Amino acid sequence: MREFFARSLDASTIFTIAALSELIGQRSGILNVGVEGVMLFGATLGFIAAQTTGSYLAGFLVGMAIGALIGLLHGFFSITLGGDQVVNGMGIWILGFGLTTYIGNPYTGPLGMERIPAIAGLSPFFFVGIALIVVTWFVLSKTSLGLRIRSVGENPSVAEVSGINVARTRYLSVITSGALMGLAGAIYSLDYNPVWNYNFLMGWGFIALALVFFSMWNPVILLAGALLFGTLWQLALNPQLVLPGVLSRYIWRTVPFVITVGVLLLMSTKWFRTRWGAAKPEALGLPYVKE
Amino acid sequence: MRLQSIKHGDPALAVRGITKRFPGVVANDQIDFEIRAGEIHAILGENGAGKTTLMNILFGLYQPDEGEIYIGGEKVNFRSPLDAINLGIGMVHQNRKLVPAHTVIENIILGHPRAGKILNLKRTEEEIREVSDKYGFRIDLRAKVWQLSEGEKQAVEILKALYRGAEVLILDEPTSALAPPETERLLASIEAMARDELAIVPFITHKLPLVLAISDRVTVLRHGKVTARLETESATEASLAQNMVGREVIFRMERTRVEKGEPVLQVENLSALGEKGYQVLKGISFAVCEGEIFGIAGVSGNGQQELAEVLAGLRKAEAGNVTLDGQDITYHSSLERWQMGIGYIPSERNDVGSIGELSLVENVTMNYHFDGDFSRRGIVDYRRIRRLTEELIAEYGVATPGPDIPAKSLSGGNLQRLILARVISRKPRLVIANLPTQGLDVGAIEFVRNKLLEAKKEKAAILLISGDIDEALSLSDWVAPIYEGEFMDIIPGEAAKREDVGAMMAGLKLKAGQQ
Amino acid sequence: MKIGGYELTLEKRVTLTGWEAAAISILAIVFALALFGIIFVQAGVNPLTGYNEIFSYAFANQFGLPLTINRFIFLLLCTYAFIIPYRAGLWNIGMSGQLYAGALSAFAVLVAFGAKESRNVELSPGVVIPLMMVAAAAGGAATGAIAGFLKGRFDTNEIVVTMMVNFITFWLVSHMIKEGGPFMNPGGRGESFELPTSVYAPLIADIPFTIFVALGLAVLLYFMFAKTKIGYQIKAYGLSPPAARYAGISLFKMPLMVFIMGGLIAGLAGYHMFAAVPGVYKIARNYGYFGDLSFYGIICGLIAQGNPLAAIPIALLFGGLSSGGRFVQGKLQIGFGVDLALMGVLMITLVAFQFFFRHRIVLASAEKEELDAGVLR
Repeated sequence: MREFFARSLDASTIFTIAALSELIGQRSGILNVGVEGVMLFGATLGFIAAQTTGSYLAGFLVGMAIGALIGLLHGFFSITLGGDQVVNGMGIWILGFGLTTYIGNPYTGPLGMERIPAIAGLSPFFFVGIALIVVTWFVLSKTSLGLRIRSVGENPSVAEVSGINVARTRYLSVITSGALMGLAGAIYSLDYNPVWNYNFLMGWGFIALALVFFSMWNPVILLAGALLFGTLWQLALNPQLVLPGVLSRYIWRTVPFVITVGVLLLMSTKWFRTRWGAAKPEALGLPYVKE
Repeated sequence: MRLQSIKHGDPALAVRGITKRFPGVVANDQIDFEIRAGEIHAILGENGAGKTTLMNILFGLYQPDEGEIYIGGEKVNFRSPLDAINLGIGMVHQNRKLVPAHTVIENIILGHPRAGKILNLKRTEEEIREVSDKYGFRIDLRAKVWQLSEGEKQAVEILKALYRGAEVLILDEPTSALAPPETERLLASIEAMARDELAIVPFITHKLPLVLAISDRVTVLRHGKVTARLETESATEASLAQNMVGREVIFRMERTRVEKGEPVLQVENLSALGEKGYQVLKGISFAVCEGEIFGIAGVSGNGQQELAEVLAGLRKAEAGNVTLDGQDITYHSSLERWQMGIGYIPSERNDVGSIGELSLVENVTMNYHFDGDFSRRGIVDYRRIRRLTEELIAEYGVATPGPDIPAKSLSGGNLQRLILARVISRKPRLVIANLPTQGLDVGAIEFVRNKLLEAKKEKAAILLISGDIDEALSLSDWVAPIYEGEFMDIIPGEAAKREDVGAMMAGLKLKAGQQ
Repeated sequence: MKIGGYELTLEKRVTLTGWEAAAISILAIVFALALFGIIFVQAGVNPLTGYNEIFSYAFANQFGLPLTINRFIFLLLCTYAFIIPYRAGLWNIGMSGQLYAGALSAFAVLVAFGAKESRNVELSPGVVIPLMMVAAAAGGAATGAIAGFLKGRFDTNEIVVTMMVNFITFWLVSHMIKEGGPFMNPGGRGESFELPTSVYAPLIADIPFTIFVALGLAVLLYFMFAKTKIGYQIKAYGLSPPAARYAGISLFKMPLMVFIMGGLIAGLAGYHMFAAVPGVYKIARNYGYFGDLSFYGIICGLIAQGNPLAAIPIALLFGGLSSGGRFVQGKLQIGFGVDLALMGVLMITLVAFQFFFRHRIVLASAEKEELDAGVLR
């Protein structure tokens, strides 16, 4: 049982970091629906780097670096070229999905390295995740930088007129976001489940996206949601803990996805919708063109 | 770099020979202009006269093709609004440049160099309050901006400019969204600021009485050139108008008398909620008959937009009912209403009234795709609609190379002509015209008004929603000033007095007129 | 930017003609193929050799060509499944889930007719095949309707919903065909029972009749968007929901309708791939691969700019790249996933080229610029 909760928390760590990274991007007004793609890049290239060099550090650094690079790419398409951000995000997803399938194929199989030591039975990244939540909350609500990021996401023309460089702020946000997504992916492939397989991320990137909407862009609610989902996922993998032998294991695998749809449905009720509408960064997904 | 300390009367800001060209037009043509510290200097001109361009140049958004700008006697060069701000120019925009979701304080310190890495909201609040009190602004600094009234939002913008150290304040259409009492307060604050050696430049379009009331000097623009520089003392409404437009402007339209017919629209106790869940319509009742123009006059944001939407079937009514030709249509969809004979001219011609990427023919289809003559058994008869479009283009004077160009390439005036054409050509029983002349040039405005009068002669019932009190008074058979979701009164057009209607638009309850 | 005596500037477009859009799209494809050449190089293969192998297998080989055509049909259907909601401004990335649902529904019909027992069960093709198709269409439509309904009624994000449904149906298929599931092949093997020979889809020159379905849809969709009321409403809704609402178009019905239509077509793609393509005739172990392939429909739809007729040559090209790519993977020892990698590169190139749909490069003689500067045009 303890093992179950430990694994749940480990899973939720990845949801936390992935969703948090998208939250940062979205607060600055940039929508990236291709979270899955960035995570795949981080997971695959991090895996390859770690296995090739024998160093976990290399793996995580490469994962973050590639994530930042992809974030930059998304930023370039969305900020400088001013393209449709949903199209761009879809592109990132399909690029990630297609390329990592090919690049990772020769590395299919276990990582083959000694597991990262746990702290109090939990992955050390759990604490990293908590720390990131706290830092993000602090920066966004209490610092000048945070105010700038939020303003750029609400009303970029106002920010521009107030002397803020909208493009630069958004780039900063989207590169950081990418790096964290890459990190989340690397954690998945190096710590949580160190086996490479074709399409192994199983839609976690999209669940993270749903989590951001669900959290109403509040880092604390996001953490709660991530914890819930991590637990749900573990449950789906181990249904025998709750309802032994009731349904085939495949049906159980659908549970987290069904719940996600259910959550989205919940979010459309009036109570939710007014709060959600108020919390949404007004300029989210809209390209900003300087006069 | 800051403005040196300037004595009263010294030039704070001057421009010489400012010229700016855009493809096909010279927006500013050798403009000379100068404002002194402690002066209120109005810039007057119609839409298209070049005011916006000049304003944007002064504020650093555009670079002039020719000419120089001087601040405090020294030549300066703005490469961006940031340069202008740092040199002491503050701008208060017409469409508020504020972040509604953030608090007043957050909006004011946004981008301020003194904000520091970690925000010290308390100290900032005290500093802002000091400035706010000095000039008579009364705002809750901790409130979120979306909760404030228009006048308060404008005050926030002014405070923001002042907090940033502005010594020249440019105001873009400062009173267009204000109710008369708020305008009074603003004028008082402006005078207080002028006494404090600030230079204030309001840019104004049609509010001639305002110009006379507030400014020390006036510069009039027309077609990009300065056509007059007057001391306000020696100017009159008529002389200003003449310089602005270049011909005798008739202020009052001939009101046509038409035989009154049966009631077409009857509204009883109508209530509705707005975007944020507050009640924006509070039990409105009225009727419009055939051949009548019923004018609702109000400052934007008092519920008239929502009233139009409810009547058009685009917003749900919370209570009350709406009857068309005797039939209850309270729960009818907009499609059903169009089919029953309501024609709606929306206030947002670009976002709602038209689809920019579609051709003119396809835009006309917006009102015809459900019409049995033009769309049979699921197939749209585009050829027929095209012919109709060509006829409408000719009849309504839409300036366009053809019916196949995308609607977004039409100018505002021409787009409005097309929208009017497509709505009125269906000979609706009830025309709801929501701010039909907003943002149009004088020629288009006259055209729209004449078309409404024509429809009136054709026995249509017309509901006119206007923010322009003179327009409402000159066109309507009945005038209903609206304030915070209620009709303050319903007055017959001839009997309506401008001061009374203006006061009611601002919320003053006067003696009940004839119903 | 100056080059020689000329001035190069970027200008925002006012209009985009069909020809210009086609030219840009073709340029994007060529650029992507060139970029993808890097993968060939990395695998130790001369890109020209690589592409030569791909295209000659895909279009000039007696085994490759039918494979190409089959994939073409599949991709065209997936493209239409994407295009219809796309014209309505919505993203249907649920074609994989919709096609799985379609396949399951078609096979459910077979089970109802007792086809599970063996391949030799005698069934009447004139009855069963149409029923299978209807079932597949219905299954896909119902799956699509989930996202469409949620969008229309609650404005829920259709991207996340369709993606979630993709995974749900993916696991549902696994459940049905593996480890004792209802559709499992009697021999185990982790795949479904086989299609009885009596209901193999009729072939014309080795090509299943579904090609007529696909091409027929092409014409139908083109006609729909050009001439019908529904087509107009979809276009209007896609360009401006508030204006569409003003025009009397239902903001609830539109999403629901386009997702039903899209899902329906994807369901047919499921029928095609698993019950009409020679050599398959069952829900295979690697059904997930086809689900992933269906995402090519997104790219194809974007390149075709939502035009049903333009999608035909593009889907054909992609069909060829896909079948040729698989072939070359084996022959030139390149490694699994090369066709998916190509998909990725195509997509990102297309995304980048979107920029040219909105801007154009203007070349003007530098002297002319100076002359123009002082004159009103």
